[in-house]
Amino acid sequence: MQPDAKNDDLIRSARFRAEREEGWRRLEQLVAQAEKSGMAALGYDDAVALASLYRQAMNSLSVARSISMDKALLDYLEALCARAYLVVYAPQESVTGVLQRLFTHGIPQAVRRSTTALIIGFLAMVLGGFVGFMLYQQDTSWFFTFVPSGLSDGRVPGASEAYLRSTLFEDGGRDGERLGTFATFLFSHNTRIAIFIFALGIFATLPSFVLTFYNGLILGAFYAMFHEAGLGYELFGWLSIHGVTELSAICLAAAGGAQLGLAVILPGNMTRREALRERGRDAVKLVILAGLMLIAAAIIEGFLRQLVQTTQMRLLIGWGIGAAWLAWLLLAGRDTVGQDT
Amino acid sequence: MIGRPANILPPEAVPIRLEIASGGARFGAQALDILITFGGLFLLFWALIWANVLDWSMLATLFFLLVFLIRVPYYILSELVWNGRTIGKRIVRIKVISADGQRLTPHQIVARNLMKEVEVFMPATTLLSGSFQSGWVGLALTLWMVLVLCVPLFNKRRQRLGDMIAGTLVVDQPTAVLLPDLAATQGTTGVGFVFQPEQLDVYGRFELQTLEQILRNRPKTEEQRRRVSDVVHTIRRKIKFEEDVAARDEWDFLTDFYRQQREFLESRHLFGDTREDKFHKTGS
Repeated sequence: MQPDAKNDDLIRSARFRAEREEGWRRLEQLVAQAEKSGMAALGYDDAVALASLYRQAMNSLSVARSISMDKALLDYLEALCARAYLVVYAPQESVTGVLQRLFTHGIPQAVRRSTTALIIGFLAMVLGGFVGFMLYQQDTSWFFTFVPSGLSDGRVPGASEAYLRSTLFEDGGRDGERLGTFATFLFSHNTRIAIFIFALGIFATLPSFVLTFYNGLILGAFYAMFHEAGLGYELFGWLSIHGVTELSAICLAAAGGAQLGLAVILPGNMTRREALRERGRDAVKLVILAGLMLIAAAIIEGFLRQLVQTTQMRLLIGWGIGAAWLAWLLLAGRDTVGQDT
Repeated sequence: MIGRPANILPPEAVPIRLEIASGGARFGAQALDILITFGGLFLLFWALIWANVLDWSMLATLFFLLVFLIRVPYYILSELVWNGRTIGKRIVRIKVISADGQRLTPHQIVARNLMKEVEVFMPATTLLSGSFQSGWVGLALTLWMVLVLCVPLFNKRRQRLGDMIAGTLVVDQPTAVLLPDLAATQGTTGVGFVFQPEQLDVYGRFELQTLEQILRNRPKTEEQRRRVSDVVHTIRRKIKFEEDVAARDEWDFLTDFYRQQREFLESRHLFGDTREDKFHKTGS
C-alpha cells in the first residue's frame, strides 16, 4: 500500500470512509431537515447541495457494496441513501399545475379512451330504468319492491295527481340557508355513493353494474308511476334539471368501476396487476370527474330546482348543462401537449 | 413477522433496499388516522355546540361537509402534502412510495385512497356495527369483507387492492446510524498481534462481519467475557495461532485480527479473489 494520503496508516476501506464521511453527515442533516419541514424549507444552496450529496452517497454505496467488508458502513449507507432517495424523489408538481393539466387534458382524454367502460356504465342505468318501467306496467306492486319507503315519501302508486304534482312544484318554503344544508348533504352523500360504486368495480365489475342497475330500477318505477298519473313530462323536467348531471356522474363512476373490473376479467397480455395499474389511470380520472359533476348537481338540485318552477326552463337548464359537459369532454385536450399525469 | 425487503431501483440505477411495513404498523397507522379524524370531528362539534356560535343549519352544513372530507379526501390531501404520509403514518414512521422507483405521482395517491372506501371503511363500519344481515347472504358478505381486509396479509409485498391499482408500496422509514469504523480506531496499545498470510487465509467475508458484530459491544459481565474468550479460542484453533493470549489481551487480539483480516480480504478482493465465507477453498 502506498503511503499517499495523510491517513496512510489506515486500510483502504477505512480511508474510503474517512474521505467521504463528512459529506454523508451533511447529507444526513439536510435530509432530516427536509423530512421534518419539507423541501421548501431548504435554502437554494442547501437544495443544490442535497442533490449533489445524494448522488455522491449513491456513488459511495455502489462502491462500498463492491469493496467494503464493513457491515456497519454498508447498513448505514443503505439507510442513508434510502432516506435521501425518498426526499429527493418526493412529488414536486405544484397543485395548480396538476389541476390545470387534469382539466385541460387528463379528464377529457381519459373519457374519450374509455368507450367500452362508459357503455357498460350507461347501459346499466338505462337497462335498469327500462326494466323498472316495464315491470311497473305489468304490476304496480313492484314499486314497493324497488323503492325503499324512506325515498318514496308518500309518492306511491295510487297517490292523487294533485299530491304528485305538488311534490314536483313545491319549494317547501325553504330559505337560502336550508337549501345550502340540503345541497351539502346531497353532495356528501352522493359522492360517497359514487366512490363506493367505483371501488366495488374491482370485484369483476358486477357489483358496480348491479348498484347502477338498481338505481335505474328505482328511476324507471318512479317514472312509470308519474307517467300513469299523466305527469310524465313534468317529472322528466323535474329530473332533468339536476339528473342529467347527477345520473351521468353515477354512470361515470360505474364506468370507472368497469375499467377496474375489465382489467380483472380481461387483462389481455398483461398480468392482472399490470392491467389494473394501466386501466386505473383512466378509471381514477373518471371518478374525479364524477365527483365534480356531483358537486355541480348538488348545487343545482339544492338551489335551482326549488327556484325554477317551470318545466320548460328546467329542461333547458338541465340539458344545457349536459351539453356543456359533453362539449368539454369531447373538445378539450385534442392537442398532444401535456400527455397524462 | 420478519422484515421483507423491497428492492427499489432509483433513476441513479443503484438498487436500494427498503423494508416493507409490517401489517401491525399499517393497521396502527390506519387506526390512528381514524381516531384522529373522527375524534377531531367530535371534539370540534362538541366545542361548537358548547360555544353556541353557529345556528343549527350552519352546523348541519359543516357536519355533512366534514364527514365527507375526513374519509377519502383527508388521506389524499395529507399524502399529497406530506409526501406519502398521513398523520397516523407519520407517528408510526411508515410511508407510501412508488413501486417502480420513480417519484410518487398525484394519480397514485388518489387511486390508492379511493379504494379505501370499500377496503377499509365499508368493512370496518359493517363489522364494527354488527348490523349485518342474517342468513347465508349475510355470512357470505361478512366472509367477503374479512377476505378483503386480509388481502394485504396474503401477498408478498403487503399491498392493498388500492396499492396494486396505484402501483405503490408502504415501507418503513429508514433510520441511518453511522457506527465508528473498527479498523480506524487505533486502540491496540497492548502486545500488537501480527498474523501471517496463511493464518488470514482461513476466513471469508461472512465470518469477518460476524466478528464485527461481536466487536461492537465490549463485554461487561463475566458471562460475556467468557463468550469472548470462547471466540478467541476458536479462532486460535482454526488459524493455528500458537502464541499464548493473556486474558487481558483477548479484546486486543480480536481487534488486531479483525483489522488485519479485513485488510487481507480487501486486497484479495482487489485481485479478483472474493471470499464470501470460510468455504471459499472448497469452491462451493
